[in-house]
Amino acid sequence: MRWYCLNTNTHGCRRIVVSRGRLRRLLWILLTLSAVGLILWQCAELLMNYYSASVSVTVQFQKLPFPAVTICNINPYKYSAMKEYLSELDKETKKALETFYGFSEGKSKVRRSVDDWNSTGSDFFQQIPLLKVEDFSRTATDLHSGQKRRVEGSVFHKDSSIVNSGDSNDIIGFQLCDANNSSECALYTFSSGVNAIQEWYKLHYMNIMAQIPLETKEKLSYSADDLILTCFFDGLSCDKRHFTRFHHPLHGNCYTFNSGENGTILSTSTGGSEYGLHVVLYIDEADYNPFLVTSTGAKIIVHDQNEYPFIEDIGTEIETAAATSIGMHFTRSRKLSKPYSDCTETGADIPVDNLYNKSYSLQICLHSCFQKAMVESCGCAQYAQPLPAGAEYCNYKKNPNWMYCYYRLHEKFVKEQLGCQQICKDACSFKEWALTTSIAQWPSAVSEDWMLRVLSWDKGQKLNNKKLNKTDLANLMVFYKDLNERFISENPANTLVILLSNFGGQLGLWMSCSVVCVIEIVEVFLIDSLSIVLRRQWQRAKKWWSHRQRGGTGTAQAGDLERQGHHNPVCLDEDLPTFTTALRLPLPQDSPLPRTPPPNYSTLRLETAFSEQLPDTLELGQH
Amino acid sequence: MRLKKYLVRALHRLQKGPGYTYKELLVWYCDNTNTHGPKRIIKEGPKKKFIWFFLTLLFASLVFWQWGILINTYLSYNVTSSLSIGFKTMKFPAVTVCNANPFKYSEVKPLLKELDRLIEAALERILQPGNSSDNVSPPLDLELWNQIPLVLIDEHDKDNPVILDIFESNQTAVGNETAMGYGTMENYTMGSKTTESYSTAAPAPGAENSTAPAAPANSTTEEKKYKLAVKLCSQQGSGNCTYRNFSSAAQAVSEWYVLQSTSILSKVPLHDRIRMGYQAEDMILACLYGAEPCNYKNFTQIYHPDHGNCYIFNWGMDEEALNSSNPGAEFGLKLILDISQQDYIPYLSSAAGARLMLHQQKSFPFLKDQGIYAMAGTETSIGVLVDELERMGYPYSDCTVNGSDVPVQNLYSQYNTSYSIQACLRSCFQNHMVEICGCGHYMFPLPEGVNYCNNEDFPGWAYCYSSLRSSIKQRQICIDSCKETCNDTQYKMTISMADWPSEASEDWIFHILSYERDMSTNVTLDRNGIIKLNIYFQEYNYRTISESAATTIVWLLSSLGGQFGFWMGGSVLCLIEFGEIIIDSLWITVIHLISWAKGLKQRRARARYPDAPPTGAELALPGRAPDGGGAGGGSHQPGLPARARASGASSRASSRASRARGPGTAPRARHATPQLRLPARAAPGHAEPRQRHGHRVTTGSCLC
Repeated sequence: MRWYCLNTNTHGCRRIVVSRGRLRRLLWILLTLSAVGLILWQCAELLMNYYSASVSVTVQFQKLPFPAVTICNINPYKYSAMKEYLSELDKETKKALETFYGFSEGKSKVRRSVDDWNSTGSDFFQQIPLLKVEDFSRTATDLHSGQKRRVEGSVFHKDSSIVNSGDSNDIIGFQLCDANNSSECALYTFSSGVNAIQEWYKLHYMNIMAQIPLETKEKLSYSADDLILTCFFDGLSCDKRHFTRFHHPLHGNCYTFNSGENGTILSTSTGGSEYGLHVVLYIDEADYNPFLVTSTGAKIIVHDQNEYPFIEDIGTEIETAAATSIGMHFTRSRKLSKPYSDCTETGADIPVDNLYNKSYSLQICLHSCFQKAMVESCGCAQYAQPLPAGAEYCNYKKNPNWMYCYYRLHEKFVKEQLGCQQICKDACSFKEWALTTSIAQWPSAVSEDWMLRVLSWDKGQKLNNKKLNKTDLANLMVFYKDLNERFISENPANTLVILLSNFGGQLGLWMSCSVVCVIEIVEVFLIDSLSIVLRRQWQRAKKWWSHRQRGGTGTAQAGDLERQGHHNPVCLDEDLPTFTTALRLPLPQDSPLPRTPPPNYSTLRLETAFSEQLPDTLELGQH
Repeated sequence: MRLKKYLVRALHRLQKGPGYTYKELLVWYCDNTNTHGPKRIIKEGPKKKFIWFFLTLLFASLVFWQWGILINTYLSYNVTSSLSIGFKTMKFPAVTVCNANPFKYSEVKPLLKELDRLIEAALERILQPGNSSDNVSPPLDLELWNQIPLVLIDEHDKDNPVILDIFESNQTAVGNETAMGYGTMENYTMGSKTTESYSTAAPAPGAENSTAPAAPANSTTEEKKYKLAVKLCSQQGSGNCTYRNFSSAAQAVSEWYVLQSTSILSKVPLHDRIRMGYQAEDMILACLYGAEPCNYKNFTQIYHPDHGNCYIFNWGMDEEALNSSNPGAEFGLKLILDISQQDYIPYLSSAAGARLMLHQQKSFPFLKDQGIYAMAGTETSIGVLVDELERMGYPYSDCTVNGSDVPVQNLYSQYNTSYSIQACLRSCFQNHMVEICGCGHYMFPLPEGVNYCNNEDFPGWAYCYSSLRSSIKQRQICIDSCKETCNDTQYKMTISMADWPSEASEDWIFHILSYERDMSTNVTLDRNGIIKLNIYFQEYNYRTISESAATTIVWLLSSLGGQFGFWMGGSVLCLIEFGEIIIDSLWITVIHLISWAKGLKQRRARARYPDAPPTGAELALPGRAPDGGGAGGGSHQPGLPARARASGASSRASSRASRARGPGTAPRARHATPQLRLPARAAPGHAEPRQRHGHRVTTGSCLC
């Protein structure tokens, strides 16, 4: 121990041994211990902060890839083409409007005139009719029969706060019941009839659409020629062939510009409105479905080529009879994945199958997760999301129970009881286009005349001649505001090298220690003390043995004496150690043979490395 | 001789190293160095010695490897960004407002009359091909038309499109036309399956140029039968022509009109153009900044080629920029503008509204890039968030502080505006245009001594311009030569709109505004022309992203020190020690060499004169011992030189003596004398200084 303290490279230890006086020694012991404590604390701190990240923002001016721009008409399918599928539903809706709100007729009268409807209405409409609920009595008036019936089960208020405050007599809603167990019902009520009718219509609409095959649906929707009147990109003309069709269950045919489908992704090398995408869209307002959509225009979404366009979630709506200019600013971000933060690089480590044929995003994961839960619990897939393998879309004929199931599940999903929000993680890298949207009147009052004429001529070549109305047209410009790409990336704040340097700095600052010291400590406190213990045991055993054999005590005493002598040169009147003692002392204990007894001077002479100095040293020692 | 003596003494004085052989030196170094490993090597037993040797080597190589990594990291000049969100009085941005239409139609009508009649007649013919319009009374200016004509392309027969001239109505088959526009038409027929086969002006190597990625072939069903194209010729009547196809006639017409009107307007002098544009007092009807009233006089007029007269509020050119006192719509800028839509040029701008832009003080507003529209008949509220970016310049990132190091002549400096990347790109384009086409484009400022392009003086300019504009190479050159600015301020806008004025308030508002402007009781304004703007700070804090160097020299040094300290407990002093040892060993080499040379010389000399006197070096040799002793006792750092050197010297001397003993017998005695004397002389002083050195070693390493 003493030897270690004297010879170690750490500073404090030596001071302890070398200092004179108890107080001073105590002080040094305290200081050394506190230094060790500090080192341990700081190093722990360093280790804990190891997985931190620093953020760097780089702005680069360069040619930028143009994002994919997906454009949809708000109305999914041509109403004229959909007539045959929707006629019954529309009739029903009109009747409901008449019954509940009456176009001028009194309510009581309408209730009587209901009888003849039952024959035309299908089985399905009777199953989930619109109801008028009298809240306090908990009775509902059926649209068909006009009968009042008791409402059982729980009541879901979509706008509960408004319901409670307002006049609760006029609530419209619908009831969904578990087909197998009719006592379990959920009643959905809405404070406004507009919402109720739209929601109800949508429910039936989805039911109908789920039965129509995809090819038919694509035909029912708008073609590229229908939607896109003119197209201009980067100062050059383009046409429908630059658009890729993409069928969205709720928005019909959407068209993606620059989808990268044929391998090339367009890019812009100049910012500004002249050099972006410039299209004029034809929105056939007359052909809109009056109940499904109540606004006019188009929806667009700017996204990456690998991203799935979630139009219903993040689309931007554009107005007719106006020029919408959308300036983009491109930001790319990259987070560090595990262990720095909880994000996923590819989505492969998430136990939800990606149903979309696109790269992972949180949105995709949530939708896939919901769809998976839907297939598991309801036995069929929801219409608005892609099909998992081996499943099919819900429709009333095959799965009479699905609506109830769906609404239950959706409720759970929204309340985060499905666990989807916990399973799904953020994507580590994502691209973002920040949009600045502004609107101008278009065409202007004076240019309206020729503009419409020429555009009609453009259109008229494709269809029969008819003059366009300006409310059927929307002008859209999508361009880069500037070609500065902002790249926000996280970098590991510490690398192993830096961590080690910090360790070194700490060790060095407090104790002038290094790995060598650590090895020394290990050496002294583990190997050597072990060897001392072993030697003691050995000697004791030997002593015991010899005691038994000869009854003599000579060897043990000699060993004790030798150890005593070995300490002596240093302990001698607390003086500073001399060069020789410092030099000579380590040798015996250091010897790799653990069981050799402490050497005397003769062994020292043999083992020392300084053969040339040795004679002098010895001479000196004798002095 | 004396000089030599001095030299030799200096030599010896310099060589005060701790030993005279390499081994001594090494051992001494290992024992006395403050680096942790080597000490262990000598102090341990033979087996451990080997382990320690190995460990020391390992650690040393680790240290060097990691130093390499650290230095590499430093040289990559990484930056870390810090986001600070603060709260301070902020400069209100400069606000540029323009009319989307550059000139009042009533003013420019005389200039554009011919053009308008031409396009109307052309449209008549295109839209109703049957009716021949003979009733046009004044003859059309066909010369103007022929400079840049519009042509109709009949695509009934896909492989053999026919080009119809609109006014001459003589159908020319492609075959005939090729005689005139050789290469181009060839190109046209070849590529007629893709729409933008239109031009040689846009040679399309690479995907980014061709707007058409190879289109799927299934598009035959509803192919358009007629198309409009703009015919661009490099020289009047010369064969080098291209047809710029448009998928839509509307685009073709507006593009054609822009080209023609540009040519006409570029001949008009600047002050006339300013006069033809919208005047501040006509356009800016009301202005309120915070609680303070302002009027059109607070706006700086600037002529913008795209939008005519633009007016900039708070540009900060002459007076200090205004500070905003509070966030919220109450404290922002409120404007009422009149864009008088009835006076628009019908074919030039089809979108109606005001164009506005928020930008930094003293920067040029590039409305086409960053401007937004405000719609007539609405109130547009713009909430602003300030987003600043401060970057470090070279070598951390490639940005410029004031544009002085960019190899492009900044043409926008004539407006006294600060450098921006947009200014650089446009200047770059204009410089190219002047270089290649010989004239400047009307949309950009002119370099000195150059005129704007027009049809009369530069008949082929449109061809030249459109080929240059679609040239990828030119764009790439400009992108490469321009750098972005280091400090960038972005104004993030949240735009919302509402109808304004409301039906109920419409009457009195129009009445008052008309009265104030025109001093008449008649209402001269209407919904189609009036715009209200609110521009205000959304929040009162700014966001600054500033860069700082991730690796500074201090960082580098502390990391290097940390590494060295961690593995070997070393510091700079240890490096110096090491260097010292190297110098010492060099000296040893030198001395060895010298003595070897001496020995050689002496042997030769002795062979010639057997009784030669001792040389200077030999005489100096005895002096070395006291010299060394003095050094040992003195303040020189090495710990045990005296004894070691003395013994080393003696041993070396004796070994040399033994070596020398071989050849000659006579010099042996002479050599032996000093050598024998040496230990004797050193002996008395031995015990005492050595003792001292011993102390110094221990305390020395303690203090390190």
